[in-house]
This record gives sequence, structure tokens and C-alpha cells, in this order.
Amino acid sequence: MFKRLRSLFRVLTSRRDFEDGMTEELRFHIEQYTDDLVRSGISRVEAARRARIEFGSLNSVKGDCREARGLHLFDELVRELTYAARLLRKTPGFTVTALLTLALCLGANLTIFAVIDSILLRPLPFPESDRLVTLFNTYPKAGVERDGSSLTNYYERRGRIPAFASVAIYRYGTATIGEAGSTEREQITRVSPDFFSTLGLGPVMGRTFTEQETTYQTDSVAILTDAYWRQRYNADPRVIGKQIRVDGLSKTVIGVLPPGFRFLSSQARLYFPLASRAEDRTPLQRHSGGNVTQMIARLKPGATLAQAQSQIDTQNTALEADDPQAKMMADAGFRSIVVQLHADHVASIRPTLLLLQAGVLALLLIGAVNLVNLLLIRASGRVKELAVRQALGASRLHMVSEVVVETTLLTLVGGLLGLAVGAAGIRLLGVLGADRLPLGGRIAFDARLALAALVAAVVMGIVLAAPIAWFNLRRHPGNGLRWESRGGTTGRAAQILRHSFIVSQIALAFMLLAGTGLLGLSLKRAMAVSPGFRSDHVLTGQISLPSKNYPDGAARLAFVEKLTDKIGRLPGVLSAGVASNLPLSGHSGKSAAAVKGHILRPGESPRGHYSYWVGGDYFGALSLTLREGRFLTAADSRRAQRVCVVDEDFARYYWPDSSALGQRLFEGSEESNDAEAFTIVGVVGRVKQAGLTDDVAQGAIYYPYVFRGDSDVFVAVRTGLPPESLGLTLQNVVRQIDPDLPVNDIRSMETRIADSLVTRRSPALLAGLFSAIALLLTAIGSYGVLSYAVAQRRREIGVRMALGARPEQIRGQFFSLALRLLACGTLLGVIGAWLAGRAMQTLLFHVPALSFSILAAAAGVMGVVSLVACLLPSHRAARISPMEALAEE
Amino acid sequence: MGKTADVLPGTLDMLILKAVSLKPLHGYGVLLRIRQISGDALDIPQGSLYPALYRLEHQDLIAAEWGQSENNRRAKYYTLTAAGRRRLREETAGWNRLASAIAAALNATSEEV
Repeated sequence: MFKRLRSLFRVLTSRRDFEDGMTEELRFHIEQYTDDLVRSGISRVEAARRARIEFGSLNSVKGDCREARGLHLFDELVRELTYAARLLRKTPGFTVTALLTLALCLGANLTIFAVIDSILLRPLPFPESDRLVTLFNTYPKAGVERDGSSLTNYYERRGRIPAFASVAIYRYGTATIGEAGSTEREQITRVSPDFFSTLGLGPVMGRTFTEQETTYQTDSVAILTDAYWRQRYNADPRVIGKQIRVDGLSKTVIGVLPPGFRFLSSQARLYFPLASRAEDRTPLQRHSGGNVTQMIARLKPGATLAQAQSQIDTQNTALEADDPQAKMMADAGFRSIVVQLHADHVASIRPTLLLLQAGVLALLLIGAVNLVNLLLIRASGRVKELAVRQALGASRLHMVSEVVVETTLLTLVGGLLGLAVGAAGIRLLGVLGADRLPLGGRIAFDARLALAALVAAVVMGIVLAAPIAWFNLRRHPGNGLRWESRGGTTGRAAQILRHSFIVSQIALAFMLLAGTGLLGLSLKRAMAVSPGFRSDHVLTGQISLPSKNYPDGAARLAFVEKLTDKIGRLPGVLSAGVASNLPLSGHSGKSAAAVKGHILRPGESPRGHYSYWVGGDYFGALSLTLREGRFLTAADSRRAQRVCVVDEDFARYYWPDSSALGQRLFEGSEESNDAEAFTIVGVVGRVKQAGLTDDVAQGAIYYPYVFRGDSDVFVAVRTGLPPESLGLTLQNVVRQIDPDLPVNDIRSMETRIADSLVTRRSPALLAGLFSAIALLLTAIGSYGVLSYAVAQRRREIGVRMALGARPEQIRGQFFSLALRLLACGTLLGVIGAWLAGRAMQTLLFHVPALSFSILAAAAGVMGVVSLVACLLPSHRAARISPMEALAEE
Repeated sequence: MGKTADVLPGTLDMLILKAVSLKPLHGYGVLLRIRQISGDALDIPQGSLYPALYRLEHQDLIAAEWGQSENNRRAKYYTLTAAGRRRLREETAGWNRLASAIAAALNATSEEV
């Protein structure tokens, strides 16, 4: 088989040589034969005549030779392609409409599929990545759904869970790299020694971290990513052993990772060992994950998730025997969950992507229906021609293959245009922030996708051909010849088919419109939510204080005080503060707090609350509302007395009937001695912490900065000026205090909020785009079908008008047809919209699945567009001149 | 020229392979060679020779190459390939079996029944 294909290919690539060779060979034969005949005594003229006769028809021999080479099918295909191309060129209006429809529909599908492929389908870039899992602790009854894993978890599980081949732990972070005066902030990841072996992909140069390098005294080593090595070291092959300054400390480069190494969506450019002290690994720290430390593991070949889960559960139960916090954790519903790493990483975005894919598939369906309708109309115009050809002996197979060739040619060219649309679409996604999605950095337009698109185009061509071929073959040639002659009317079945296509098209477009409406309304409601503070005129940035220059809380407090003081005195600045965290910036961590005197009800556990350590005038900078008492001030970090502020959710939860002022609480999940207690001095309004659409009243506590003295702080500055204009000034102020300290992530608070809505806004925008295309396609479809109906019935209209029908009656007749189709489509569309709304429910925010106002709006838009599309043909019908119509043919 | 017989259906390919196996030949030469080795008993319709040659070449049983003819004309010469040689062996064996079976059947007498 393969040999024959190769032989066919050889002939096809040098077709001219083949033909010339064949002619020469046959001529040689005839001449030799003639010579032989002459030699036997016949005259040359007579010999030539006899040679030709005995040889037979030269052309038919050649045809047989070509067939022997498998060339005849190819010739046939070329003939049909030329024929199809000629037909398409003859009707440019149809061809352009069809190609644009295909390009838009296939391009949109390609775009969304590119996202689905790179995020959901393509495996992670590690060997046997389906065996990679992640583990996290959950305390659902304490309001903490997810809390990472602790170092203790890691040291307890390593080598003790039979289902795991290996376990590793990692922590994202940032570090200041470089010599004093030319430092840069880099994303880094601190990992346990088995991190790379768990992934199955480690340094290509040098070595990985060892067990000895996990203490603070011995952790001065670093592994570089390929990109960092190329950029900073010019791909120096002798980089191993070089010194690199990290947060002011010297470290030795021991390895370089392979090109393209990327762990999930991490931007880390350097890897360091995750160092810890012995006391960080004790049972007391078992529940201290706090979402900063995450665990991954590799399943042994053949081991299942369920086995791993049950082994983890068994181990947790066994460990509870010596766990001082066991009872409390049981009350909090504590469990450690094992899930697929890839699935877990993309879980948040999966429903949105599937929804968008469903949307574009609906669009493709609308486009396909449109094309079938247009093709059917075209086929009706050629019924007589086809009937004549069939009567003259064209085979059914030939008629089918002709249709298939024509539609496939269309879809293939449309598919090629669709590639361009898809490439543009992927670029548009980049603008919409697709690269910020989990694994979004992998979205790219590659040969695999292009091939998939072209295969889809060919399949679509064959599918589209089916109804047309059926239509062409359905009737007896005799019928075809009579079809639509003077006495004939439109074929009933074909008409019903066309009308039901229009109805389904309207229904699908209506569904898309309504779905878009739901997403849009949901976005609008989310944007209308007050974050609980005034987000305008606030500039924010992040600073990390390296432990070398800022070894303790006192040094860090001194920096924070100096900073807020200096910024506060800048012209145009109203107030400035710092906090360990900012609301709506995607870092919201919860910590436990124990309220003095609060007796846990049965089944109740200490709750996790959003906890902030704030300095300067943080409350003024964000303009939080004061409900009772007072705000914290900069001075609270200097006072011996421990005070704190809580939000109204916190106050209402613990003291529903009385004031929270003067009450006392402890940081952590247990009460300790009174000297450690914080007295509540104020109650502030609630702030949306994790996201604008976050409805859970979890409660928040604000402590003075000094009591934790975090090295990572966010700065918030309220100004009377446009906040972005202050960015450079902020950097300068920081540099005046410490020349080596960069400010990262400088964004206005409003930008932060807008960014936090990107997973709502982008799908809504895309859905809007799809609906617009769907509307356009539906308009084209309705227009085409109605125009055709008018053209078909010219004679009938002519007769009626000659008998005295008024133009308005004719116009009304077609208009009422359009209205009927619209009504049927809308009715089906409402049912579809309801189903779609229910499927989308989890993605919606405060919007019901069936919103009357959205349905009404969708029906309005749909109605206007399709009636306008029908207006023109109806109008044309009313202007038909009876004389001309009857004189035709 | 003596009495000639038509070629049995399906045997043309075999005859061509045999002719070409003796010596590389051009198309006209194949025709003459078959006539010659069959003692002028077999005559091949000229029109059906070339499609058969093209089919055999397509199946990789024979290979074609341009060369010089006896009278210094450019001509296409066919030679047997390894696969062709194998096929010829199989077909010859098959034909001999068939021929002796038919001969045996036709020579049967009433005593043997």
C-alpha cells in the first residue's frame, strides 16, 4: 500500500514527465512495429495504417495506463475542484458570505480551543505528570477551606506513605538579587531537596539540593532557571560555583534548570532550599501551613488517588494520638486532601472555559446552519441542471462527490482564513489577560492546533455536504425538470427544512444573547459591590525587607515609621499606611484567634479570620468606616498596651447583643496568659477581603504592625492627585531611606480591584463578541432565506397583484412569515436560555438563571435584528411589477 | 505465422514477468519475446500490453529505465525486481499445479471413476 502511494506520489510530482514518457514510449512501439511490417514487404503508408489499427485507440490506451497508476481518481478530483472553484467564483456574494461565516466561526472555536488545550488538556511538562498530586489541609468548620501543608506534614509524610514515590514541599516568594546599588527583585521558590525528583525534571547542569542544605546555617546555595542563566550570566558554562547575592547574603550557584522548566504558573527565576529549624518541624507546627507552604507528591506507578487519600487519613488519625490540638482540629473538620496537581491548579477556571467552549460551539452550529441554508438555496437554483445531467447518465456517486468537493473546498478555504482569525483571537486573549490564568502562559498558536483546525474544516465540509447531496438525489429527474417551471411551486420538504433551520438559528443566537446578558449582569453586580473602603485615589506597592539589614521587628518598625512619616509629608498626600496584606490583592490569608471568655459551642471550632498587621495611618489611607471606638494609630506599635481593631462581622459573631469594645482576644487558636491578650479598641466596617463577590462574613482583625513585624509589607497612600502619578515619588522616598530597596507591584487600588475581576470580565467580553457574531449570522440567514422565498414566488405575487392585491398585503404576508419564524425561534430560545442559565449558575453572582429583564432584552435585540433583516426582502416583494414577473421565463 | 491463441485472462502479467526475467526489454520487445518463447502460439493484443506494464511497475514488480534501443532510439526498458522474481516463481508454481490438475482431470478414464 505504502509503495503504491509512493509510486503515485512520484508520478504526481512529475506529471508532465509521466505524460511525455508515455507518449514517447507508445510512439516508439508503433514505429518499431511499422518498421517490422515494412521489412515484411508492405508499403510504408500501408504499414503505418495497419500498425495504428492493430494498436488500438491511443487515447484509450493512455487512459488505461493512467488508471493503472491510480491517476484517474486524482484527475477526477482536479476536474471537480476546478468545476467547484468556477461555480464559487460565479457567485461571489454567496462565496464571500460563506467564507466569512466559516472564518469567524472556525477562528472563534480555534481561539477558545487553544485556551482549553493549553490549560485543561495538555499535560504538565513533566514526565508522567498524571502521577503528580498536591495535598492541602482543610478546616471547613472553621471557615478555612484550604490551608496548604506544613513543614511538619512534610517531614511526617516523607517515606511513610506507601502510595507516594516521593513527597516535596515548596514556598513561593521574592528575593532581592544583586550587589548593593544594583539590586533587582526576583520571583523565587524555596523547595525541599526532593522537589525536582518528584517532578521528574531537575538541573541539566550541576546538581540539585541535598538534605544537608535545609538548615539556615547551610542553605547558601541556589539553582538558576535557564532564562535567568542566559540573561544574567550570558549562558556562561562555568556558572557553577559562582557567588550570587541574595537579600544581601552570598550564595553559591550549584545548578541550572533545563530550558522551558516551569512549575505550574510560577514566574520563579531562582530556586533555593526551603530551610527550617528543628522547632518548625514539631507536631506543634503541624497546622501552620497557612497557604504559604504547599505540598506535591508523585504517586507510585499503579497507586491510585484513593489509596493515597486513605493512607493519609490513616496517618492523620494515628498522629492525632499525640497531638495536643487534636480535639480542636477534629471540631474544625480537619482533613488532608489529595488531588491531581493539574486538575487542582486549573479547577477555578475550568467551568468558565467549558462555558466559553459551549458558547463558540453554538456559534459554529449557527454558522453551519447558515451555510446549509445558503447551500440549499443554491442547490434549488441548480435543480434543473442537475436533473438534466442525471438524465444524461451522471452517476449518483459522481453527484455526491461533486457536492463533497465543493463544500470541502469552501470549508477548507474558510478554515485557512479561520487560522488567521484564530491567531488574531489568541492575541486578543492576551490583551484580555489570558496569560494571568493558571497555565495561561502556555497559550500559543502552534502547528498542532492549525492541523486540528484544518481537519475540523474538512470534517465540517463533509458534514455540510450530506444534506445538500440528499437534496440533490432525492427527487426523480423527471420531477426536477418540472420543478419550478411555470406551473410549479416550491418543494414543501425543502421549505420546511429551510424554515426549521432558521428557527433553530434564532433559538441558538437567543441562547447566546441571554447567556451573555447573564454574564454581563453578573459582572455589573460584582462591580457595583462596595469593597468597604474608598478605592479611588489610592496608590499601593509592595516592599520586602531583607533579613540581613532588617533582622528584627524593631528594625522593621523603624523603617515602616520612617517611611509612612516621609510619605505622609509629601505634597498631595493625605495619608499613608502599611499593612501585612491588602484586601482584594489575592493574598488574603486567614489566621485563628481565640476570644477571651468565648466558650466554644459543641461542634464549633476556633475560627480563621482575615488578619492584618497595620502601621502608619492605614485606616485613613483606605478610608475604612469607623463603627465604634477608634482606629489604630502609628503610636499603637510603640505602646506597651496591646490593642486591636476588629470589623463588624467579627463583633457581631462574638457579641451579637453587646459592644465589642473592651473585649479581649488572643492571637492563635488558644487562650494564653492575660499579658498576651489584645484589647479591642475599635470596630470598623467590613471590607471585601478575598474578592468582591465574596459573601462569607468571616470577620477581620487588625493588629498594630509591631506584633508580627512582617518583612513583607504593602504600602497604601491616599492622595488628592491621580494615584499613578505618585509611583515614581514613592520609589524615590523608599530609595532615600534604603538605596537597595525596590518597590514592587505598584498599582492603584482601583487597578487591583479591576484585576481581581478579570475572570469575570474577560468571559463576559468574549461572550458579548460571540453574541454579536451570532446576531450577524442570524441576520444573514434570515435575509437569505426570505429573499429566496420572495424570488421563488415572484410569479405567484405577480398573479396576485395583477388580480388586485395591494403591495401592503404582499409585504404583510412575508413579514408575518418572518414574525412566525421569530416567535418559534424565541420560544425555543427561552427554553434553551433557561437550561444554559442553570448550567452557568455557579459562575453567576447574584443573578438568577432565568432573569425576565434579560430575556426581554434578548428578545428585543433578536426581534429588531431579524425583522430588519426581513424588511428588505418583504419590501422587494411588494414592489414586484406584475407585468415583469409574468413575462419572465 | 502459425495458429495463434488468445491469452487466458490473468495470465498476461505472468507472461510479461517471464519475458522480462530473461533480459531487460522495451515494451515492443516484450511483445516479440512472448510471441517467440511461446513458439508464435500466443499473441497479445497490443493495446492491453502497456496498461499491464504500468500496473506491474506501479506494483513494484518490474522497474523501468530509459536506455538506447538496437537502432539507437531512446526506449524505456523494463527489468524484473526482487518482488517480481518472487511473484513469477509463485505464479509459475501455481500455474503448473493448475495445469497438471486440469490435465489429470481431462485424461481421466471411466475405470478411474
